[in-house]
Amino acid sequence: MALFERRDHLPLPPKGAKTYNTVCQYCNVGCGYKVYVWPVGEEGGPEKDQNAFGADFTNPQPPLVGLNYTETMHSVVQGRDGREYHVAIVPAQDSPINRGDYSIRGGTNALTTFSPTRGTQDRLRYPLLRLGDQFQAVTWQEALTLMGRVIKGIRDRDGNDDNLTVKCYDHGGSGQGFEDNYGAGKLFFDALSVRHIAIHNRPAYNSEVWGSRERGVHELNYDVSDARLADTVVLWGANPYETATVFYVEHILPNLKGATLGEKKAAFANGEPAEPGYLIVIDPRKTSSLTAAEVYAKDRVLHLAPRLGTDYILANAMARVVWERGYYDPDYLKARTDMTLFEDYKKKSLKLGTPYDAFMDEAETITGVPRAQIEQAAEWMAKPKGGGQKRRTLTIYEKGIIWNMKNYDQVAAVVQLAVLTHNIGRPGTGCGRQGGHQEGYVRPPAPTPGSIFNGGPPVNVDKLLTSGKGKFYWVIATDPYLSTPNSQFFRKRIHERTQKLTEALGRAGEPGTVQAWADKILQALYEDPDALFMVVQDIYMTDTARDAHLILPAAAWGEANDTSINCNSRLLRLYEKFTDPPGEAKPDWEIFKWVGMRLAELYRADGRREEAAKFEFGKDWKTDEDVFLAGSQEFKDNAVSEADEATLEAENYKGVTYGFLKEVGQQGIRTPVRKDPATGKLVGTLRRYTHRFGSSDGKFKWYGTDDWEGYPPEVDKYLKGEASERYPFWVTTGRAQTIWQTAYHDRNLPEKTLALPLPYVEVNPEDARRLGLSGGDLVEVYNEEGNGTFMVYVTDAVQPGMLFLVMYHWRGTSNSLTSGYTDPKTTIPWYKGTRAALRKVAGALPSLHQTASTLQQNRFE
Amino acid sequence: MTAILTRRRFVQLSVASVALFSAGGRAATWFAPSLTYPSIKVGNVAKIEVGKPAYFNYPDNRSQAVLVKLGREALGGVGKDRDLVAFSASCTHMGCGVQYKGGRFVCPCHQSMFDPAKNGQVYQGLASEWLPQIPLRVEPNGDVIATAVEGLIWGRVKNV
Repeated sequence: MALFERRDHLPLPPKGAKTYNTVCQYCNVGCGYKVYVWPVGEEGGPEKDQNAFGADFTNPQPPLVGLNYTETMHSVVQGRDGREYHVAIVPAQDSPINRGDYSIRGGTNALTTFSPTRGTQDRLRYPLLRLGDQFQAVTWQEALTLMGRVIKGIRDRDGNDDNLTVKCYDHGGSGQGFEDNYGAGKLFFDALSVRHIAIHNRPAYNSEVWGSRERGVHELNYDVSDARLADTVVLWGANPYETATVFYVEHILPNLKGATLGEKKAAFANGEPAEPGYLIVIDPRKTSSLTAAEVYAKDRVLHLAPRLGTDYILANAMARVVWERGYYDPDYLKARTDMTLFEDYKKKSLKLGTPYDAFMDEAETITGVPRAQIEQAAEWMAKPKGGGQKRRTLTIYEKGIIWNMKNYDQVAAVVQLAVLTHNIGRPGTGCGRQGGHQEGYVRPPAPTPGSIFNGGPPVNVDKLLTSGKGKFYWVIATDPYLSTPNSQFFRKRIHERTQKLTEALGRAGEPGTVQAWADKILQALYEDPDALFMVVQDIYMTDTARDAHLILPAAAWGEANDTSINCNSRLLRLYEKFTDPPGEAKPDWEIFKWVGMRLAELYRADGRREEAAKFEFGKDWKTDEDVFLAGSQEFKDNAVSEADEATLEAENYKGVTYGFLKEVGQQGIRTPVRKDPATGKLVGTLRRYTHRFGSSDGKFKWYGTDDWEGYPPEVDKYLKGEASERYPFWVTTGRAQTIWQTAYHDRNLPEKTLALPLPYVEVNPEDARRLGLSGGDLVEVYNEEGNGTFMVYVTDAVQPGMLFLVMYHWRGTSNSLTSGYTDPKTTIPWYKGTRAALRKVAGALPSLHQTASTLQQNRFE
Repeated sequence: MTAILTRRRFVQLSVASVALFSAGGRAATWFAPSLTYPSIKVGNVAKIEVGKPAYFNYPDNRSQAVLVKLGREALGGVGKDRDLVAFSASCTHMGCGVQYKGGRFVCPCHQSMFDPAKNGQVYQGLASEWLPQIPLRVEPNGDVIATAVEGLIWGRVKNV
């Protein structure tokens, strides 16, 4: 009585099956995968020399070391030649990242291939135009003409690009690598000059880690091997068991178990003590990364649970302990950091003017973390080992820090603690992001500002749009109706604005030609300034697409060659194309190219040759590699010595070709890539900042953080008077291992939808008892920003008085409830903190409860 | 209670077989159970205690399976409380043996966890496929019979 179709027999790829190297389309870890494609009707045999795996299936594979080939790793696709093909996508055993391991996300890569008979049949196959308030098929020819005429019409009227607003990814993985990012950059920054552009989830064009970059530290600076060598790993607002799963189980956990002692002894100095690793988890929740580690190393795991928003105060307090106890190397600080700016850090962050006891009392009051725990954490991070050897600590932070209140100061405080203790640039150290997705950024310079310290902060494009500005909104491979903060308000406003255009287009009959369509759209947009034209470019009909006027179908992972780096090693690899995009779908870079070419034609027809030439950036782009190579021209000359790697862009790949990447395969090459001055050969960078930092003079730039100023008005309103009783819960948000981002693929997989039919809310057992709630109950969680129906998980992962909402579920996004607050220094939102009320709904949906498990996810013992 | 498979047992059929081979250019689907499975006795309802897992080999002596009386109603559960279920004991992630602890199956290798009352659902961890459930039949004398495997046993490309 399986709840969905299961298999008990999978076909083996025959010898001679086409094989490809690729990397998982999902998270920051970037596990290597091998793809096998062969015609239906052929099948390999179970003997080692009878199948393309080269694996012996005459007996079951041996656990852990055998080949993983499971039900979710096989699918059948329809080729453009009309034949059906088997596709097997299995974890690569020769990958230094995953070593044959895989997670619940990557394990389903094969199921994301397009098929007319599976869930992926929902893929967009040809452009759609809202005609008569119904999405109807149009050709690329007509879609591009409409795009070109509307964009040009707006530019002609305005004389600038400020009414053109864009929401576009800026990263790698998920079928978007350096190629697509470069295409976007050329169109939006070189040909057009789009200032009102925002990056995938967030409302502005900004870095989430300016607080680190402006110190001279790029956020991707360590290697996976550092997680194996570290004396202590700090997970700060990072929950890798859920969100960087294979990195955690293949590299962090083995260190805690003592399985990497041999590697430590080989890498450490002579006589330097080596022991199984320690783990510090700094998170308001008892995350699964904490509780899974406790199974193996209970006495070497420390949990600090600061109050929401107070992490930077905690980081500064740990730094003050380091200072008081002398756990730092003055020679290192003098040689490698800016000692003039250090005075500011001592004054504002370490607050040396305040006596130690008074300072620590204040830190304890603000953060809620007992002083003894703060001191113990500082010891585990920085107290010299036997023989006076420096301790090796790897600090990994992610959205708990980044999407915190005061993004800039949070990130800066964490990085400064690492540099103060010289925990960067040495084996077993580093201070960087865990990462969410993979990366692949190469673009011309953007016409947008930096942080408040560099001409910014950047414009909040969400607020620009909801305030009624902008006329053209192009949403690319992101679903802001689910993912943007304060999304309930955003959805309703964008709906209202796009609806105004839809209604205007219907007045006196809808036009019958593309020219008339473009004219009527432009007329309506300028008659009613609140009307908005929306284009969605994606692989599926997203939530946002329901209000679009034009929808453009894009290619997905595996449907074009692309390249990205992972986050935990900056490992650059080629993700080989192994199947065709469905129907007329095209890679994003090609769509940007053709929009540019159509605009060029329109300008040429106007006699504006110079303007036309700007839009022909893609005329020589015939293949994906052409775009990859064109992008590499944006990088600095990389013929520099190893000591000067810090002067290069983190993703510099100058000199790398697809041919080179095919040769290195799963081993890849770590960026920044250097052309070694001595040998002329391309070499990677294992870890960064061993010799200097990435600032103009190579010195680390200290920064004095702000004092504790309480909560911003958007959240403070819930803490005052009657409101504090009406909205009694603190709310934080985050991800679950089971679903990726908005679950755009996962929502087609029964393994995922039966397990998580609705978004869930974690409720502490004490609160659950008090409110009469049990696992599987349905509740409404609401505040003045928004509402959502959630399924209750009763768990001690959250403290009493706190709720945790899973992000981005298609049946209700936690972002409906988040406020519109952004850090005034960076315009980065605080996705992870607000207040809300909770009520049990009347009645139940027993069919959902019957199939979804509500067992406690962070209990492993 | 461990039952070692013999060739004779192998012939005792419980599930009709469907097409075993793909033909021509069409994709064959093998929805489980699509193969011929042995029916073997794995216990007797009178002797099975709540919360005490019993391991047995199934569908042959190269793979372990586990029978457990959950003490709560389960999807596919048999017996008068509908709480008696059996699963492949090979974690669908990388094949380690799952352990029954505290009402669920936990894999000691990477902590994947499966809910035995919800069709072997992965509710935490790395496994991308649910634990294959083994449909059970209770004979009039209380004997519990394993009849098939609904899902691919890790490490195999064909269950039998």
